[in-house]
Amino acid sequence: MTVSPVGRDIDRVDGRSKVTGTARYSADYPASNLAHAYLVTSTIGRGSIRTMDTTAAQNAPGVVGVYSPANPLGLRLVPGIGEQYAPLEDTQIRFRGQIIAMVVAESSRQARDAAGLISPTYDEQPPRTSLADEPRVPAAGPPGHPPSALVLAPGVASIEAALAASDVVVEASFHQPMQHAVAMEPHAVLAEWNSDHTQLTLYSGAQLPHTAALGAAIRLGVPPTAVRLITPYVGGAFGSRVIPWYDAPLAAAAARQLNRPVRLVLAREQVFTVVGHRSAVNQTIKLGASRGGVLNAVSHVSDASMPFVGYRQMQPAVDTSAVLYKTPNLHFDQRHVMLDVPPTCAMRAPNEAPGAFALETAMDELAVATGIDPVELRQRNYATVVPGTGLRWSSKHLDDCYRVGVRRFGWSARRAEPRSRVDGQWLVGMGMATAIYPGNRIPDPVQVRVRLRDDDTAVVSSATADTGTGGLTMLAITGAHGLGVPLRRVKSELGDTNLPPGAPAVGSMATASTVPAVEAAVNAAVAELIKVAVTDPRSPWQGANSEDLTYENGHLRGRGISMSFGRLLTTVGRPSVEATAAAQPGPEATQYEFHSFGAHFCEVRVNRYTGEPRVTRFTTVVDVGRVVNAQAVRSQIVGGVIFGIGHALLEDNPLELDTGRLAASNMADYMVPVNADIPAIDVHWLDRPDSVLNSLGARGAGELGTVGSAAAVGNAIYNATGTRIRSLPITLDKLL
Amino acid sequence: MRAYTFTQPRSVREAVAHAGEGAAFLAGGTTLVDLMKLDVMAPTRVVDINRLPLRGIKLDPDGLHIGALERMSDVAVDRNVRRDYPMIAQALELSASAQLRNMASIGGNLLQRTRCGYFRDVTTPCNKREPGSGCSALTRINRTHAILGTSDDCVATHPSDLAVALVALGTDVHLATAQGTRTVPLDTFYALPGSTPHVENVLRPGELVTGITVPRSMWAANSVYLKIRDRQSYEFALASAAVAFEWRGRTIKQARIAVGGVGTTPWPLPAVERALAGQPATADTFEAAVSTAADGARPLSQNAFKRELLRRTLVRAFTVLAESR
Repeated sequence: MTVSPVGRDIDRVDGRSKVTGTARYSADYPASNLAHAYLVTSTIGRGSIRTMDTTAAQNAPGVVGVYSPANPLGLRLVPGIGEQYAPLEDTQIRFRGQIIAMVVAESSRQARDAAGLISPTYDEQPPRTSLADEPRVPAAGPPGHPPSALVLAPGVASIEAALAASDVVVEASFHQPMQHAVAMEPHAVLAEWNSDHTQLTLYSGAQLPHTAALGAAIRLGVPPTAVRLITPYVGGAFGSRVIPWYDAPLAAAAARQLNRPVRLVLAREQVFTVVGHRSAVNQTIKLGASRGGVLNAVSHVSDASMPFVGYRQMQPAVDTSAVLYKTPNLHFDQRHVMLDVPPTCAMRAPNEAPGAFALETAMDELAVATGIDPVELRQRNYATVVPGTGLRWSSKHLDDCYRVGVRRFGWSARRAEPRSRVDGQWLVGMGMATAIYPGNRIPDPVQVRVRLRDDDTAVVSSATADTGTGGLTMLAITGAHGLGVPLRRVKSELGDTNLPPGAPAVGSMATASTVPAVEAAVNAAVAELIKVAVTDPRSPWQGANSEDLTYENGHLRGRGISMSFGRLLTTVGRPSVEATAAAQPGPEATQYEFHSFGAHFCEVRVNRYTGEPRVTRFTTVVDVGRVVNAQAVRSQIVGGVIFGIGHALLEDNPLELDTGRLAASNMADYMVPVNADIPAIDVHWLDRPDSVLNSLGARGAGELGTVGSAAAVGNAIYNATGTRIRSLPITLDKLL
Repeated sequence: MRAYTFTQPRSVREAVAHAGEGAAFLAGGTTLVDLMKLDVMAPTRVVDINRLPLRGIKLDPDGLHIGALERMSDVAVDRNVRRDYPMIAQALELSASAQLRNMASIGGNLLQRTRCGYFRDVTTPCNKREPGSGCSALTRINRTHAILGTSDDCVATHPSDLAVALVALGTDVHLATAQGTRTVPLDTFYALPGSTPHVENVLRPGELVTGITVPRSMWAANSVYLKIRDRQSYEFALASAAVAFEWRGRTIKQARIAVGGVGTTPWPLPAVERALAGQPATADTFEAAVSTAADGARPLSQNAFKRELLRRTLVRAFTVLAESR
């Protein structure tokens, strides 16, 4: 009997290759006759290029091509997807840090040197940069996600009336600056065409391999089938590799012109502007409640920055205030402010993280206003159906997250009165917040191929992506589970568009979407195996009915014979059998609401003299259905919480209002937490399978930890100091 | 990156002969290589001094002698330094990252350039990098900038933690040129920006830092370096304090104080030292003594908090020192 690896602590199957440096990331791929590209970006925030003399660059040593508005590469924009302009196709400057030229040379240093010789002159216009002052515009939500909504109880005239009729009203406004993914691996691409330019191979990090290839194909004006994208290793993504930016199309277009492979690696400061970021956002929350803390009205209004060049609309209310608490009156309005800033993207928990910071801080303020314990307050407003729609959840055990978290963390030691715990130089405080994130499967069919080989090993393949999350290991685990064979006998493959189209590594959906497809592919491969068994003349089962054979734990059994699939394949002289199968959600997708849930508990210390806040303890309890790989889920939740701590205390890239320059576009000034900032993080999951979502009961966990963790930190700081900071990051100057 | 010549002399005499206009000495490279990559510094000659005999950490009756090429990490773990000059070890260990400390030299540490984001970004005006081009920080992003010693042309902070501790301890810097050697007190070594922020110290063209001497004192062993910053590691100071007390019973006989993260140079605070001298180590003494610490400060749009932070950093450092007595 083979023990299933599901739910155990499984080391990454690619761990050794990563730590020994044999794993190949995009810029590591070799190519013969390789040329190297370097980008030139704009140094004004808005306007147009007046002159751009590229003569010196063209004449510089080793230079083989200089591309600019005077010598463009003919790229096309993809309407509605990504940035709504094509670089080098006009002289307009839309934001500071926009691509305005690219130099290709024999070496990366030569390309960089020559790029430094290009000094354009500009006709400048003042960039529109103020989130507070530029006009608000209504958002246009994607289908099924209206940007605004109003639900009123019978007889209630307006949300204002509902608030006015409430015993206690909390109104609070929040500011969160723009946020960057700063993945370890800078965006990089190697583009290589075949000799007649009918087939392009791109080596480039992507969360959705097929979508990235499609996007590159459209921008290059070639058929989608002409582009193969290879992305087995990705050095972090967090949403910054959801859509293809212009790095891959530019490299590919230059490679086509130059008739040789081209590699382009973004300089770190270029990653901050060429690649999207999370919008800055201002939010106002109004909560109306009874004296007992029972909500009567929730209103959530957001103004998120939206670049004129486009990409992603932030909608912070729809998956937080609209679903988290029971309320008879609900209003949200998610607006945009159009600015001359670099493109935005769907950064980890793109709506939910900023939304939950506002809502969960406001709930803490309501707890203070009503004198009710913050956990108790949330339990009094516990939603068993989705407010406004009445839909039930597939599986929801948030109440257990609160209960278990309270016990593990020692919440009962908290004193409600701020500044009541002092330890030497330090004020000590505790705070908590709720986490919520959609637990969906991708609506499109997800394909997986399972190949059974004559050496008793199996290969599970799917063009999903492993952005460092453990997707490759997840494929192997679920394959081994389905086939009933030891994990070491299963090899997994992903990150190549030559493989069957798999689940996108977005929206915490990859595992939940892949699991049913693996199961279907295992069944289909076993059916192929049985077909061989009953038809091949060399098979001991030739002529038997398929129904007489059963597959279990790597073996076929029937008519008193048992044989491993490898031995059967060897016997019949076939190296392998394989099958590809697809899976997609059924009617349950509209019959239920799917979310993962969690509760964060945080202890901070704030120095009495100098004000710096330090997180000293953190407990997070999550309800994510069944866990496929304990180690990977723990890492995901820990990583999500660290994201939240960084968001709460450190991350900021100040925008110069007069120039449009992002002042901290490097990894020294754009501060993410270092090890010293992070205490041991206690993660616990309930392990309650969500059998509605898929057969294993596994829901997403990748983004959940990011949601609410910043609010837990801020709430703990309030408890420590009595100071409520509603503008992130909460730095020491705000606490002096 | 620009073309440059590269030499590896074996003696100080040879090294200074190679130096002069357009030349830069290369020790650990943690500042120079970084800034050359950013095109902020573009020397035409790079003189690698790592083969020079400028090593050694030696304690004798005159004090502590440290060769300019000693690495930060080696000085930080030296037994004599930790016992007799704890604030030096603390300042070093609170600097940069372990990897940088393994490379960076003591001489280079004293000469490291500011972390002002405008100085490091050649697409923006900066008087220190390009005299006469203007100061971007005056009106733009300046939360981390200086409040003391600033001018209308430059508000960049001096980045070194070590230099703050060394100024507090009355350190001498030993220098060499082809014409000979000289010794300069560190507290007169650095230049205020004034109208010439590109001139940061009294070094003559081609002059080389060969070592430092930290004198023996009655206070160096009772010292602390306190660094305040947003992130707990791998970040420069918003404010820092190097404080040493000589005790007479429960009374502070005399104090030595310099602060960092707030000034355009490591900033000594003689008035605060005088206010503590002869006083009992009480909270009231500390509060009274720091009342003048930020006198003369010229806050910018985003860094006015540094006045209060500076005073509180000092009180905290005094308290730590008094409690550890």
